[in-house]
Amino acid sequence: MSELTIRITGTVGDGVISAGDIFTLSAARTGRFVTTYRSFPAEIRGGGNSIFQFRMSSKRVLTAADKCDILMSFDEQSLSENISYLKNGGILVYDIDTIETVPSGNFITYGVPLKTIAEKEASLRARNIVGLGFLAGLVPQLKMQEQLKDDIHKKFLKKGENVISINKKALDAGYDYALHIERKDTLSMLEIVSTGKKLIMSGNEAIALGSLVAGCRFYSGYPITPATEIMEWLAKELPKFNGNVLQCEDEIAAVTAAIGASYSGVKAMTATSGPGLSLMAEAIGLASMAEIPLVIVDVQRGGPSTGLATKPEQSDLNIAIYGTHGDTPKIVIAPINVEDCFRQTLNAFNFAEKYQVPVILLSDAALGQKRECIDEIKLEEIQVYNRAKYDASKDDKQFSRYVINESGVSPMSVPGDKGGAYTATGLEHTEDAGPSHSAEMHTKMTEKRFRKLETAVHEFKAAKKYGVEGAKIGIISWGSTSGAVIEAIEMAKEAGYMVEALYPRTIYPIPDEWINDFLKDKELLLIVEGNYSAQFANTLVYKCTCMNREIKIYQYRKYDGEPFKSNKIFEKIQEIVQEQVHKYTLKETELSQGLKEFSL
Amino acid sequence: MQRLKEEYKSSRKPKWCDNCGIYNVLDAMAASFAELGLDPDNTVVVSGVGCSSRLPFYTSTYGFHTIHGRALPVSTGIKTANPERTVVTVGGDGDGFSIGGNHFIHTSRRNPNITYIVMDNEIYGFTKGQNSPTSRKDLITKINPYQSVEDRINPVLMALSFNTTFIARTFSDDAEQMKNLITQGILHRGFSFIHILSECTQYNTDTRWENLKKRIRRLPENHDVTNRLDGMKLAFTDEHIYTGLFYKISEPTLQERLQEVYDIALDGKKVGEYSIQDVLKQFE
Repeated sequence: MSELTIRITGTVGDGVISAGDIFTLSAARTGRFVTTYRSFPAEIRGGGNSIFQFRMSSKRVLTAADKCDILMSFDEQSLSENISYLKNGGILVYDIDTIETVPSGNFITYGVPLKTIAEKEASLRARNIVGLGFLAGLVPQLKMQEQLKDDIHKKFLKKGENVISINKKALDAGYDYALHIERKDTLSMLEIVSTGKKLIMSGNEAIALGSLVAGCRFYSGYPITPATEIMEWLAKELPKFNGNVLQCEDEIAAVTAAIGASYSGVKAMTATSGPGLSLMAEAIGLASMAEIPLVIVDVQRGGPSTGLATKPEQSDLNIAIYGTHGDTPKIVIAPINVEDCFRQTLNAFNFAEKYQVPVILLSDAALGQKRECIDEIKLEEIQVYNRAKYDASKDDKQFSRYVINESGVSPMSVPGDKGGAYTATGLEHTEDAGPSHSAEMHTKMTEKRFRKLETAVHEFKAAKKYGVEGAKIGIISWGSTSGAVIEAIEMAKEAGYMVEALYPRTIYPIPDEWINDFLKDKELLLIVEGNYSAQFANTLVYKCTCMNREIKIYQYRKYDGEPFKSNKIFEKIQEIVQEQVHKYTLKETELSQGLKEFSL
Repeated sequence: MQRLKEEYKSSRKPKWCDNCGIYNVLDAMAASFAELGLDPDNTVVVSGVGCSSRLPFYTSTYGFHTIHGRALPVSTGIKTANPERTVVTVGGDGDGFSIGGNHFIHTSRRNPNITYIVMDNEIYGFTKGQNSPTSRKDLITKINPYQSVEDRINPVLMALSFNTTFIARTFSDDAEQMKNLITQGILHRGFSFIHILSECTQYNTDTRWENLKKRIRRLPENHDVTNRLDGMKLAFTDEHIYTGLFYKISEPTLQERLQEVYDIALDGKKVGEYSIQDVLKQFE
């Protein structure tokens, strides 16, 4: 097998994430595919474990793997909590200076005096880099050492020459130590070929980059874990394109400032997490009613309320689709991996401009943080769409901003356009934007606003299939479950079960044609999602008329704040196949109260 | 170029009560726009929700009737995206000091080049008569039928404490003073706050506006508008209610500081010289 998975653990402050980041970048820069998983507590110091797992391969990898080949731990508690992630026959590397009790099991153990080496050769604070060097020294044939030193140089550039040289010394010291120990493993046989230059970025960076490429030149936001990196990246880059980033006093100011900018003709975005999206609900309704393009990113985290700030979950789907009062047309999109974060952000802006609606993009804490390799981006192939503009030279009669037409999309004027003046409003209004509460007007305008969505779902590729075409067993899921599900399908294929998965990227409006087409040859359906209340399943069953057939629906819902694991999904597939096929009855499944009532 | 104030009013007829103070404010705004020769297509009037927030519908300029309390952040977005437009924000005392209070503080900190006119009638008129943050302490309403349980705020004093860079107060009866202050506010480099005491003839008839008018005085001739503490002393409204220009200082605007950010970020390059290809290099 030409891949390697390493898990590094320690307490907050041990430099786990820092070390993992450096190794990840070096692996990508030496031409390998990498994907990562990062976990840390919300607090900056004071206990709690940091975990970094990365997987490098000569093929594209979809998840950071369930178990690791090498576990490196800096402290006893994180070691005992993570030992179960080490594969049988794997390697445990631990700091023999700070860890007394070491579990025993089917793995090879290397106790390394990381603390002593650090203090002697470099500095105590560089202990994590000593560990990094040791790991590189276990696989010298992968030729990581020079690239690692180069990336250390880049990472610590701002801290000065002294810090850079200390860390380089630490790396070399760890590397040399590894070359001189007695080896009981076979890692020196491992070969991971380089497959050419890659771009590597995190989900959050991909979204930020996507917005820049899509033409966003205004960002307003309020810091919130785990979305803050999006604002930080744009704060650095947007001004170079004469764009503006405003840190606002709260999420309500953030979203309303973005609405003002978009009303004014500049593409605008804000990013937040669950608590912020709740605050933005009213303003999203304003954008919908006044028909103003807007992109809102929700990097979902454990909820409800303050919840688990650094843990992933998929429990904001309800609020994204239904969270605004009134009949509020909007579009909800969910990317499935880091590359998709880039692509779907482009789509989000294009949808927003074309249909003059708010578009909510759902990511999550794990997807936002993980780094993945993506193919080179060809800018010339990217299509950017701009809103239908009011043509000042054409009409000499009074401009009607909200003219009711077949598509529902009315050309938009912006301040500065001669003859295009109107007052945008959250009130129901006439075609020329005057306040109105007449029965006829409210009916016609509501239909007009929703008519815009009817074309949206057909015009773009709303969903994609994976796995075995025409299989009898189907999985429908969304967002970052994709890596684990696709890997599980591979495992299932090897075990003899044919499974096909469908991943809608546009979750709302529900792409019911795509889903019904997918389900037509399916006998079993497994719906996978990361929340307790079956938010996705509820929406699917309610909206997809094809569901009223003899199809057996199962669910795999996970709500523990950890990413999905491919072997668990594979186990679930096995379970549902081996179960006796009863007559289609909802009571047999794990469905929530809502679905039980929806008896077919 | 001198224009007529009628050019700035739309053909829609306002629906405010007879003798409502807002009519006068709309008129003064139109007169000020005419005096300045503003282009209606380059002007945006932004409001929240309430009686006075209906004002943009009756102007011929661009407008945005937003949501309750959020006119200021929307205005900031509009001005930042398009600094060449003249942006005037309007609203009432509930919109501006209750739900919108927080945004007042932070907009003052940012100092965008926006003029903010608050028509303060010391009541929530649109929802038919509830106490507002500026209501008299002894005001009885249907929500406070026995007694009011809260103190009242002093908007001019608040603005002085946030260091809002232009602070003025006037009364909706004084057409000339209103027009002059609005003109000065629009010309001011930065965030201009104009507090206009305005009569509600429908729900706040108890306020004995005649008595209030008797307490109005022009600010002393020798008042130093750059002296914040002096301004604060004069802002207390126990005996006299002073009108005129309380405070005016010159500070960089949000727009100016954002422009500086571009220059710092580009570090010598011109804006077209930095491309997205350059951005992609950091991910290699």
